[in-house]
Amino acid sequence: MRARRRVLYLVTLWVVVTVNFFLPRLMPGDPLAALLDPQSSDYVFDPEVRAALAAYYGLDRPLLEQYGRYLWGIITGDLGRSIRLNLPVAQLIAGRLPWTLLLTGTALLLSSAVALAMGAESAWRRGSWTDRLLATGSLIVSNAPVYFVGTALIILFGAKLRWLPLAGGRTPFARYDSLLAAVLDIGRHLILPALTLTLSTLGAKFLLVRNSMVSVLGEDFMLVARAKGLPEGRLKWGHALRNALLPFVAHLAAHAGMTVTGALFIETLFNYPGMGRLIFESVGARDYPVIQGVFLVVSAVVLTANLLADLLNARLDPRVREA
Amino acid sequence: MGRRIGADLLFGLTVLTLIGATALLAPVLAPYDPRAFSGQPLERPSRAHLLGTNDVGQDILSELVYGARVSLIVALGAATGTVVLGALIGGFAGYIGGWLDGLLMRLVDGMMSLPRLPLFILIAAFIGAGVPQTVAVISLLFWPTTARIVRAQVQSLRQRGYIRMARQFGGGHLYVLTRHILPQMAPLLISGVVNAAGWAVAMEAGLAFLGLGDPTAKSWGLMMRFALNLPGLLLTDRWLWWLLPPGLCVTLLVLALTFVGIGLERHFHPRLVRRGR
Repeated sequence: MRARRRVLYLVTLWVVVTVNFFLPRLMPGDPLAALLDPQSSDYVFDPEVRAALAAYYGLDRPLLEQYGRYLWGIITGDLGRSIRLNLPVAQLIAGRLPWTLLLTGTALLLSSAVALAMGAESAWRRGSWTDRLLATGSLIVSNAPVYFVGTALIILFGAKLRWLPLAGGRTPFARYDSLLAAVLDIGRHLILPALTLTLSTLGAKFLLVRNSMVSVLGEDFMLVARAKGLPEGRLKWGHALRNALLPFVAHLAAHAGMTVTGALFIETLFNYPGMGRLIFESVGARDYPVIQGVFLVVSAVVLTANLLADLLNARLDPRVREA
Repeated sequence: MGRRIGADLLFGLTVLTLIGATALLAPVLAPYDPRAFSGQPLERPSRAHLLGTNDVGQDILSELVYGARVSLIVALGAATGTVVLGALIGGFAGYIGGWLDGLLMRLVDGMMSLPRLPLFILIAAFIGAGVPQTVAVISLLFWPTTARIVRAQVQSLRQRGYIRMARQFGGGHLYVLTRHILPQMAPLLISGVVNAAGWAVAMEAGLAFLGLGDPTAKSWGLMMRFALNLPGLLLTDRWLWWLLPPGLCVTLLVLALTFVGIGLERHFHPRLVRRGR
């Protein structure tokens, strides 16, 4: 099982890399036509210059050789150059990736913790008003578009109450006297985006925990534990939630993917300097090398999260390990 | 049948009907042509313009009414595409079985672990994101979910006594499929359509919000994008009539589809739910 998972992971990664190579080449015209759009101001009409450019980008070589060079480029960390900024794509992404990881990591941890606590509580008092309110509320918030939830939070905490900054990852041009000042400033800017992402990914997790907790509560071993006279806290957290944890961990990979997807929107909305913002800026400028590079890196991050969640699940659940 | 319709199903169907009617009757309901410059730019709400005007003087209420059409067309198209593809491929894999089944299911596994939004953005950036392209790409990316469910169901049906009996008595594949398997699949396929429609609405609005939408079809997502593009929008109360209505509309539509999905599941599989309680 585990070996097969790893093979699938590698195959999927290869598919992503290959799709990324062939997609622009399958489009009408050659990659250069996409690179230098006829509508853009720097469109090259002269066929000789075009041929020279094609040679410069290696597009006059056989397809297989191009593919080989592309793969080698990825292995050595060369993702091409941005058309818009004339910088290496790898360098651009390296500057943005930590922000995205910070945002998604915070949101993933926060929403997991809250979902576990809320889901356990809600299942414990199933059918009560608290339970119904939590279930309906989380359904509504998780169905609203991420950017809409984010806007609501910006209006409330940023524009009306003026407690938190409206946008950005840090105060522009700020120079920090100490590490603490830097952490505080970045933290203040992180609160609203992370809260938005937490809220919009909370619903699915909450419902999952609640439902698996409800089915655990009906198991025989819960009855035995209760008959032994264990205190309520031990029953709830030690016995029930611990067993309800397994489906939660099994779905963690899918949730990580959802969180990254949400982050792409939130960064755009909050002007947060991560990969989502980068893809947004690049789409506007038709900066294809950057869009492709971001796609590659985001895919690799999501796939790695999938693999990690699988491994964690196998550690926790002996049934998965042996299957 | 004759079971009572749950409150969630009722709510969902009501909202869907209302939005559907708005889309159908858009020319009657909208006070202006949404493309016409019917007022001054950035007017506040008034009798003439109930939700004010946007930055180029188009009536926001009319845009909102016509926006329902874009969302519903994308939802219907993509949901149909997803479910048809998923049912065909999943049904084929489940019915035929063997190595072909194995191969198709590996494909499904692989596609389901692909990060779909980034892939979507990449494709949309290259081929453009008109309404037909959006529908095609959503269908191509989301069929595996349906395929997996359909395959599991077909596989279990195939083993049932009465289906084997029908085969024994000389019923052809086509006869068994259309006469015995398809009717059993109907609830599953309807839920599939509803779920896919929900993703499609959210996806379309999201892409439009990112600037990858069809610039000629002004959807709710695109309205939000234009509103948020206005510098300082959130510092005045302009967001109240420009940003909030399209946001609420998208939320309501997705929520209604989710509620219908949950309600239908409960309606078709009451045992499934009772066991969980």
